[in-house]
Amino acid sequence: MTRHHRHLWAGLGLSAMLSFSAPAMADELVAALKGAEVGVSTYDMLKAINSNVASTLIYDSLIEQDANHGYVPALAESWEEAPDGLQWTFHLKKGVKFHNGVDFNAQAVADWLAMFKGTDFEYYLGAVKEIVVVDEYTIRLDMTRSDPNLLYNLSTPFGGVMEPGARKADGDNYGLTAAVGTGPYKLESFAVGQETVLVRNDDYTWGAKTATNTGPANIERIRLREIGEASTSFLELQTGGVDMLLGVPQEFLSEAAGLPNIKLMTMPELEIYYLGMNVTAAPFDDIRVRQAAALAVNQQAIKDNLFGGAGNTPSTFMIASLPEEKVADQFRIKFDMDRAKALLDEAGWVAGADGIRAKDGQPLKITLWTQSDSNFRRVTEVIQAQLKDAGFAADIVTFDSATIRDQYKAGTHQAAVRSYFYDNATILDWFFGGDRLGYPNISMLNDPKAEELRNTAMTGSKTGEEFTKNFIAYHEYILSQFPFAPIYEPVGNVAYNADRVIMPETINSPVFQRAAVMDLKLAN
Amino acid sequence: MLGFTIKRSLLLIPVFFAASIVAFLLIHLVPGDPVDSLLTVGSPPEQRQILTERYGLDKPLVVQYGIWIWGVLQGDLGTAIIMRRPVADLMADALPHSIALGVSAFLFYTVVGVTLGVTAALFRDRWPDRVIMTGVLFGSTLPSFWLGLLLMLVFSVWLGWLPVSGARGASSLVLPVLTIGLGGTALVTRITRVAMVETQRKDFVMLLHAKGMHPLRIQLLRVLHHALIPVVTILALRIGFVLGGAITVEIVFARPGIGTLLIRGIMQHDYPVVQACLLMLSTAVILGTFLGDVLQALMDPRARANLS
Repeated sequence: MTRHHRHLWAGLGLSAMLSFSAPAMADELVAALKGAEVGVSTYDMLKAINSNVASTLIYDSLIEQDANHGYVPALAESWEEAPDGLQWTFHLKKGVKFHNGVDFNAQAVADWLAMFKGTDFEYYLGAVKEIVVVDEYTIRLDMTRSDPNLLYNLSTPFGGVMEPGARKADGDNYGLTAAVGTGPYKLESFAVGQETVLVRNDDYTWGAKTATNTGPANIERIRLREIGEASTSFLELQTGGVDMLLGVPQEFLSEAAGLPNIKLMTMPELEIYYLGMNVTAAPFDDIRVRQAAALAVNQQAIKDNLFGGAGNTPSTFMIASLPEEKVADQFRIKFDMDRAKALLDEAGWVAGADGIRAKDGQPLKITLWTQSDSNFRRVTEVIQAQLKDAGFAADIVTFDSATIRDQYKAGTHQAAVRSYFYDNATILDWFFGGDRLGYPNISMLNDPKAEELRNTAMTGSKTGEEFTKNFIAYHEYILSQFPFAPIYEPVGNVAYNADRVIMPETINSPVFQRAAVMDLKLAN
Repeated sequence: MLGFTIKRSLLLIPVFFAASIVAFLLIHLVPGDPVDSLLTVGSPPEQRQILTERYGLDKPLVVQYGIWIWGVLQGDLGTAIIMRRPVADLMADALPHSIALGVSAFLFYTVVGVTLGVTAALFRDRWPDRVIMTGVLFGSTLPSFWLGLLLMLVFSVWLGWLPVSGARGASSLVLPVLTIGLGGTALVTRITRVAMVETQRKDFVMLLHAKGMHPLRIQLLRVLHHALIPVVTILALRIGFVLGGAITVEIVFARPGIGTLLIRGIMQHDYPVVQACLLMLSTAVILGTFLGDVLQALMDPRARANLS
């Protein structure tokens, strides 16, 4: 090989290497998934533990939720509930086809629902006694009892309708090499932990009216990348490696706002931070102490100082957009330091020279558990300071997210800063149910009145109106017992390259999912 | 030599079983329960027991270990509880990425490290030696997380030459390889230099000088030959770390691989995944050590006698 040849090969090698860093294709949107959506291991929704935006693009569900958590027709164009709540009838859209060309009809839905049996998620349809195909486009669910979660379960990504034949045929590979739904995008490839590539379903014309565009989608291909490290995904946005970040961590917001061509958009989130108090452990076994701690939490200060004024200041246990959050004003938990101090005085806790209260020679000392994530630590430190203003001496103990759940089960904790993601009132049953003490009921609330209201809400709600009314009553009672203090309701932040992406003016879905993507466009 | 190799390989069996017990116990003894991740809002309270029994987590630890290791010996690594796939498939997806990264980094720091070490020894106590050893000091003290971000900033953000992250093609390997490679280079450079300098002081080197052999020939043919024995041993030991030495780098550069899989498994308490990853990484280290011993014995008969 001559020197000339060596140079030629070296040059070719270098150029081949560098060519891999070419920017995205003109009609391809490259987005980095938000942290909470990283790590999906399958698009088989009967196996998946978590989901991401791609699940809502591959699969349509019978029902969708709009931004206000109202139920909107999707594959079911209408539905009726029997007055006793023991029968649901769904009227399906006509002319819908799965990605593999199979017709979508009542039999397909019945076969899909039947597949829940024997899976870890069988309880989704635990109240369904029989699935009846009434005619080609009508399906009826006969229930053993009314199920307050049914519509909600059908509207989540896990309620995405899969083509039963394809799922059976592909066996264990279903959800990895193939995933067949009726959604606006088809799965082209899925490299677990790396990226999901979707291509437009050109036949799609049946999209739910949560989006202005009911189909086909505007963008031909979507590449969804999984980048777990926030600083890396931010650098990808800066260098054009991705067009959008579907989640921007708080610490990068100001820097992102300063970048040329990068725009930020806020989205509602489904998360609530709260201070859980163990009602069986001193000093929180005294309701006055719990109330004092709850009133010492200054939600506005946390929102302004830690989160730059973005987000909401919750006064209940639920996200603001849920109808069951609309409790009477007297039950709302709001910052009131004077009242907090008065309650502690009344409970016999006297302020010492250092500001820390004591009773019978014992200081008002508590341990405050938290998780190792940076947001948790920051919030907990502020809560520690706010509780100190009321006279509590709080020591912070930090655990990782899996370990802390095991620790709760021992029931020895006093208080903990926590958060949850959920958008249904049944969250109250999960976190305050008397038969879930330790974890998830870290407040250890097991009170006959609460249980009675819980049972009424969970099993006695026959209609949507009754569901809301019963859950408001349950919610109000829980608030009156102060087993927790609301802290903060975050918003989601989406960052995008405005030279590449045209964002719709409004997005009518609870989070960034199908409806948002349908109205997205790429700039020419 | 054959007897030595057989004896050493028989020793691998108890070491493998000991490693498998540690791999199994490590994740089981850490607080946390994978079933917590499977339970969602709306699941009835009795669902916990159903799932615990379904995944065999209600059985005594000894029985769980027995079931697992029996499966491993038959080539069945089990099915991931949270990731919902056969663990062998998950590892088959991750392994090529880890091998590509680990082997590239290994080759990089071997070639660069030996070259720099020899150069430093040849110019001992002069400016090339000082420059190299100062660089080595930096290379060995920079945390790979920080170094990775720094390289991204320079080569991706400022210069725009290389992609920030991912595993799409050869160019995405460059920065991760550099990140691992610079730390490895520091080690290999130091060992090579020390070995060279020690060998330079040996009597046979003085004799070669006295005989009038060209100094460069002495250094490159005789001194380097002797000095490479400890270097090869150390490199062989590092073969075991080729797969597991890139955990932080895989996370920073959003690359799939055994490290990323292990971290996901730990975060989710996905027992079969963590057990399999730890067993594989420890097996790689065991085999690397074995290879190191064999190579050392091959190159140095004195070492063979000692190791026997």
